[in-house]
Amino acid sequence: MKLYDYILSPSCYKVRLMAALAGATLDLRAVDFHPGGEHRGPELLSLNPGGSIPILVDGDLILTESAAILVYLAAKAAPEWLGRASAEDAAREQQWLSFSGRLTTSLGGARLHEMLLRPGDLAALQAAGIAALRELEAGLVEQRLRGRNFLVSDRPTVADIACFPYVALAPDGGVSLDPYPAIRLWSRALRALPGFIEMPGIHRLHELKPEPNLEQSEV
Amino acid sequence: MRSDTTGFWTPVALSADIPSRTVIPAHVSAGTIALWRSQAGQIAASADRCPHRGMSLSHGFVRGEALSCIYHGWSYGMSGHCVRIPAHPGLTPPETIRVATHAVRDAGGVVWVAEGTPASDPPSLDGLTPLRSLTIEADRAAIEAAAGVPANADGLIEITRDGEDLCLLLSGSQQSQTGVRTVVHVLVATGSHAPQRIAASRNVERLRRMAETASANGNVQ
Repeated sequence: MKLYDYILSPSCYKVRLMAALAGATLDLRAVDFHPGGEHRGPELLSLNPGGSIPILVDGDLILTESAAILVYLAAKAAPEWLGRASAEDAAREQQWLSFSGRLTTSLGGARLHEMLLRPGDLAALQAAGIAALRELEAGLVEQRLRGRNFLVSDRPTVADIACFPYVALAPDGGVSLDPYPAIRLWSRALRALPGFIEMPGIHRLHELKPEPNLEQSEV
Repeated sequence: MRSDTTGFWTPVALSADIPSRTVIPAHVSAGTIALWRSQAGQIAASADRCPHRGMSLSHGFVRGEALSCIYHGWSYGMSGHCVRIPAHPGLTPPETIRVATHAVRDAGGVVWVAEGTPASDPPSLDGLTPLRSLTIEADRAAIEAAAGVPANADGLIEITRDGEDLCLLLSGSQQSQTGVRTVVHVLVATGSHAPQRIAASRNVERLRRMAETASANGNVQ
C-alpha cells in the first residue's frame, strides 16, 4: 500500500496513525505540498482529480478520502477498529466519520490560514471550529454517561482516529482546547494507546516514558 | 463562591476531569494556574509559570509526585519547591527556586482553589453528583437570566422547571478576547440514572445558547 503523504498534514497523519495502531505497513511517498504544490501537479491529479492528499493506492484501488482510507486499513488489518457491533454503533461511527469533515474545513481551515497563509475568514473558521469542538465535547460527555470512553464504543475505532488530529492541532489555528475537559481526557486516552505515533505538534505522553537519568559525565 | 472577610473557595474543575498524573490550566480571579494531580492522587495548584523560562506549567506533565515543565523538565513538588533540574542531575536545586502555590481542596467531586485565606471549608454538595464542566461566553447575570433563578451564596443555581432538574455551580468569570466567560459545573441528583444525566447535559447546552445569545445581543438586564 502506497500513501502519498505530507508530514504536516493532519489528514495524512490519520492514515499513518491508523496504520501504526493496526499494525499495517505503508510505503510512504512524500509529497511536496508546501511550497511546491505537488498535489496540484499532473502526476497526482491523475490519481486524484480533487487535488487533495492523502491518496492511498493499493493495486487497482485508489482512495482519496481519509475516512475511507481508515475504514480500508481497519477492515484489512484490524477489524476491531470498526465499530459495527450494533446498528447504533455503525451509525455513530458513520456520524463521526462524516463529522470529521467539519473539523477539517473549520479547524483545519484556520490552521492553514495561520500556518501557510491560505486565504480565508479566520474568525468564521474559528467560530465554526469552536461549534464543532462543543459538539464533540457533548458527544464524549454522553458516551461517558453510557459507560463508553470513545466516540463509538468502549474502545477506540476509526471514528476516533478520524476526529483526533484536527482537534489536537486546533491551537495551531488559534483555537484553545482549554474549555473541553472531556476532549482532554479522550485525547490523553488516544495518545496513551500502544503503538501510538506522533506528528509535529502532537506529542506522546511524556509521563508514560521512563524518567531520563543522565549521568553527570554525559551532560 | 461564598465570600467572607478573608477569602473564598473557587470551584475550578471536576475531580473526575483531573485524574492522577495530569495537569490542566484552571482559572481563578488572579489569572490562570496549573492544577495537577500526582501519581499518588494528591491534588495541587501552582502558578502557571515556570521560573526558569516562563513556560506555562499547565503545558507540562506529571511524573510521580512532581509537576515537570515541558520546556526543560524542571520539576516542582507539591509544596512548590524545585526538586529536579534535568540538565544538572547532580545538583540539589536551591530552596529559592520555587513556584507560588494555592491551597486546594478536593471535596464533593469538585476541586476548589482558595482565593485569599477562606475561614471555612468549601460549601457542601450533599445529594449532588458532578456531571460535567463547560465554559459559557457570558457573565453571571446572563446565566442567571437564562436559568430563570439567581445563584445562592455558594454560587449554586438550582433549576427545577419543565422537567429539568439540574444544578449549576458557577466559578468566577474572566475577561476573554470576546468579552466575559464563565466556567460552570453541572450537577445532578446523586441517584439519577444515565438517561436523566444525558438529558441534563443536553439541557445545559440549550441554556448556554440562551445565555450567549442574550449576552451577544446585549439583552441582559
